[in-house]
Amino acid sequence: MTKAPKILTELFWLEHLHRIEAYLDRGGYQALKKALTEMKPEQVQEEVKKANLRGRGGAGFPAGVKWGFIPKGTDKPKYLCVNADEGEPGTFKDRYILNHNPHLLIEGIVLAAYAVGIHSAYVYIRGEYEMIARRLEQAVAEAYAKGYLGRNILGAGFDLDLVVHRGAGAYICGEETALLESLEGKRGNPRLKPPFPALVGLFQCPTVINNVETLSNVPFIVQKGAAWFLEQGLPKDGGTRLFGVSGAVAKPGLYELPAGTSLREIITTHAGGMKDGKKLKAVIPGGMSSPILRADEIDVRMDVDSIAAAGSMLGSGAIIVIDEGTPILHVLRKIAKFYAHESCGQCTPCRLGTSWIHKIVERMAAGGGTRGDVDTLIRLAGNIKGRTLCPLGDAAAMPVTAIAQKFRTELEATLERSPVWP
Amino acid sequence: MSPVLSAALAKKIDDLAARYPAKQAALLPVLHLVQNEKGFLSAEDEQAVAERLGILPVKVREVVTFYTMFRRSPVGTYHIQVCTNLSCSLAGGDGLVEHLEARLGISLGGTTADGKFTLTGVECLGACEQAPCLMINFDYYGNLDAAGLDRILEGLA
Amino acid sequence: MISLLIDGRPVEVAEGTTVLKAAERAGIAISHFCFHPAFVPEGSCRLCLVQIEGSPKLELGCSTIVREGMKVSTQSPIVREARRGVLEFLLAEHPLDCPICDKAGECKLQDYASDYGLTESVFREAKEKREKRLPIGEKLLLDRERCIQCTRCVRFLSEITKTHELGLFERGIHSEIGIYDGKPVRNGYSGNLVDLCPVGAITDTTFRFKTRPWFLARGESVCPHCSRGCNIYIDYHPGFPRVPGSAKVYRIRPRVNEAVNGPWICDYGRYGFVEAQNTGRSDRPFWNKGGAKTELSWDKVRIVLGEKLKALRESGRMGRAAVAASGWLTNEELYLIQKIFRDDLNVSRLFVVDPKPGEGDAMLLRPDRAPNRRGATELGFDLALPSLEALGRETEVLIIFGPHLAAHFGGDELRAAFDKIALKVLVTSHLAGLESLADCVLASATPAEKEGSFTNADGRIQRFAAAARPCPDVRPELWILQDLAREIGLRSDLYSRAASARTVFEALAKEIPFFGATA
Repeated sequence: MTKAPKILTELFWLEHLHRIEAYLDRGGYQALKKALTEMKPEQVQEEVKKANLRGRGGAGFPAGVKWGFIPKGTDKPKYLCVNADEGEPGTFKDRYILNHNPHLLIEGIVLAAYAVGIHSAYVYIRGEYEMIARRLEQAVAEAYAKGYLGRNILGAGFDLDLVVHRGAGAYICGEETALLESLEGKRGNPRLKPPFPALVGLFQCPTVINNVETLSNVPFIVQKGAAWFLEQGLPKDGGTRLFGVSGAVAKPGLYELPAGTSLREIITTHAGGMKDGKKLKAVIPGGMSSPILRADEIDVRMDVDSIAAAGSMLGSGAIIVIDEGTPILHVLRKIAKFYAHESCGQCTPCRLGTSWIHKIVERMAAGGGTRGDVDTLIRLAGNIKGRTLCPLGDAAAMPVTAIAQKFRTELEATLERSPVWP
Repeated sequence: MSPVLSAALAKKIDDLAARYPAKQAALLPVLHLVQNEKGFLSAEDEQAVAERLGILPVKVREVVTFYTMFRRSPVGTYHIQVCTNLSCSLAGGDGLVEHLEARLGISLGGTTADGKFTLTGVECLGACEQAPCLMINFDYYGNLDAAGLDRILEGLA
Repeated sequence: MISLLIDGRPVEVAEGTTVLKAAERAGIAISHFCFHPAFVPEGSCRLCLVQIEGSPKLELGCSTIVREGMKVSTQSPIVREARRGVLEFLLAEHPLDCPICDKAGECKLQDYASDYGLTESVFREAKEKREKRLPIGEKLLLDRERCIQCTRCVRFLSEITKTHELGLFERGIHSEIGIYDGKPVRNGYSGNLVDLCPVGAITDTTFRFKTRPWFLARGESVCPHCSRGCNIYIDYHPGFPRVPGSAKVYRIRPRVNEAVNGPWICDYGRYGFVEAQNTGRSDRPFWNKGGAKTELSWDKVRIVLGEKLKALRESGRMGRAAVAASGWLTNEELYLIQKIFRDDLNVSRLFVVDPKPGEGDAMLLRPDRAPNRRGATELGFDLALPSLEALGRETEVLIIFGPHLAAHFGGDELRAAFDKIALKVLVTSHLAGLESLADCVLASATPAEKEGSFTNADGRIQRFAAAARPCPDVRPELWILQDLAREIGLRSDLYSRAASARTVFEALAKEIPFFGATA
């Protein structure tokens, strides 16, 4: 069994960790002190790059490389946006960090801002996390009071302002350019890329957007170095991942494990295996947008590259376990409903395609499915994937294609039959 | 006639707007602020907010109608938002919806006659390890079964 | 300059050009809905997808910038498949309205569906039901079922007029375009939304259900309702031979001229044009003596008037004639008036009388409500209004072009002056009150119905040819002047009917350098 190192989650058991006194007591803000007093910004950036810190929001893009896209010597203000929208179904890891260890995130934010030369940061937190946002705001106030935010941080001459900004219920705002639009007070419609946010971002200025978990790793990289970080994971995918397991397992919960841990191990060993003796049917390995894996496909390593090679994706590391007692049509129904509801409506294939797929699946669930419906679903999903303005189209299409292909027999058995259980 | 926005509310809006280089950026936080105080966002609220932030009312409505959390009509004292997404469903969340509908005598989207409860279905709340779960106003409740749910409802004043 | 290949064709364009524009340069049209050259690329319809060698995904033609050596395919099988996919999605939720939709025949969705061979639908679900007749402006209706959310209308109002009347509400499949309570589109340019809408979602209530585009012929002309001289298309029904009154102008649309009006026209011109074209017309010549109106043939009129003017000339009383020309006359007509009256008949009093100036705006509409006052100026006309009192005292015969005197002077004033004038001839396309005071009313053509040129306020000379077919009994002022000149006994090649407007212009250009620049 893989050792479960406790890096991010080490202190989660500590009841008052979210108070700055407790955080400082446990060595908090030491990495920030080190960076501000002993390291140049470029050195911090270089360390994060060497550590191969892959983005933990879903795309897996290396954070250090992303930071490097910000133009040097621009006279425009630069911004850092923290993506705390956490809308990918099955995902709850950022909630843990925000709720239990907000100062870890704040420290990561200041370090990232220092590395890139940013003086204004916004945490975009989903509106449903209202109570957590209040706790985060409390932590931010504490950080300001103690000089870890604001003017002349730790007397090192570095300024950073941090604002907590609430979303209002739109999954699409987890997409980085939609997040920017929303932060600017508009509808969450994604923008055309290019130009990329690194050049034209928030308020048309160079902007870095990073996920909560990604930034929370930065203090550890700075404190203990890139080499150490790589040892905790894999050469191309350093550090641990926070895997959120839910569904038909005995112990749903958050599991911090090295990148590259086997999916089977996560489910059967760490999450306690199937609940109540149920049989495993399928697993959605990286949040709802990731292609489903059959029970015989779960011997896959959970790091960005390995699972991509296996035809799925690591995404947000949210593992949803489905048992034999759940009709696959029911799973498909929840998926189709979700994307139809969350499509922003801007581009043709997603706006109309997600709705059409939703209508077909609903008809199938009501017993009105007919021959050809499964092929139609695959064809429609194929007309969405790769054709849309933003990745939500792909996120809507891939699960439908995967389910329709891998569970075709079961789906076709529902056609011209009586209604499925709701 | 009293102004649409009280002086205190107007001041809070100005403070929020000051956190951004452009006032429009404060729109979502400001709409939350107004909605939390007034229960929902009326057309007059849209216009008052628009004026305060220096933008057009049509732009405010574009935003109000885009985001799920903004309401254009009142809700009950307790807004019960049940997750209807996959992980909660796998843990019996759909049964919770049925239970609530039966107990409260309304269907999803409705409000009880006494104005106490509104029931809506929402997408993933980000608490899947405690499935099935729901949110009442801003409070999360997880690991629910019918009995636990009943206890919560009874405990609400 | 960047060199690239589009469908195998080499093309060279400036750096920063989009693939779509470069393709246009190479003579290749890339299908699109949401793109419009006047707006920032939107990239939401996804129809303009093209295949670029080396790129794993299809790219948008409207917003992808060309690179040196790029190889683009706009019609490969994978591109056509992708476009069929987009069209299929749009058609799935589109109502089967073609038989009752104004846009049929000039609808891009129809055209593309036909181009890409979409004939059968596999959509078996219930379509979204939406508002079909939502008023969004004084003459505009929105049909939300037909709307394909290209947002051109919204963007026109935010990028061009900057009035933002339309917004995009709700989310996903429920997205809908609309106005804010009680704030309809009202900015003087609302008619452009109908042209912009690629489908029949936005319709014009003045055109709704009246005809079909395939019954209409199209002529190119210039709008005469102000001195901007916006270029237009006139869409008219040529008329059925045995049906009187069936020849009719139904609408005008902008004709792109980057130097004058871009791709737009204003509502004042757009709607004013059709109304003026079709209502209040003076449609045949008549004589108005002693309160009785007698219709005349053109031949009769020519003879009667010709006699009177000849008599005046022979008795040396031509100096007591006056001509009120107008900025609504073409350069050619104004030139002939000078040649005939000033040069040949020694008439010294030539005036220019036009409609009163109105409100202008920051875009196209100019306060000067005549199309050719600049032309009159360059020809040497004095633009000051005549003194009615002096006119009454000193004039024996007054020839007036256009009804505009009635805009400047009251009925009593005019009557008092006119009663002292022995012969009043009114040449007009419209009956606007002056006709009861004239002795002889000649029915003239509107600018849509004749050939000629106007000089706009910027000094741009724009030629136009006859577009709509006139009522049979109206004549261009050019012919009226030529016929009268010959009848009086004046000789010149320019006074023969064989001298077209073009010929007259060439003579004008030789004589006055200003007009020579564009001969």
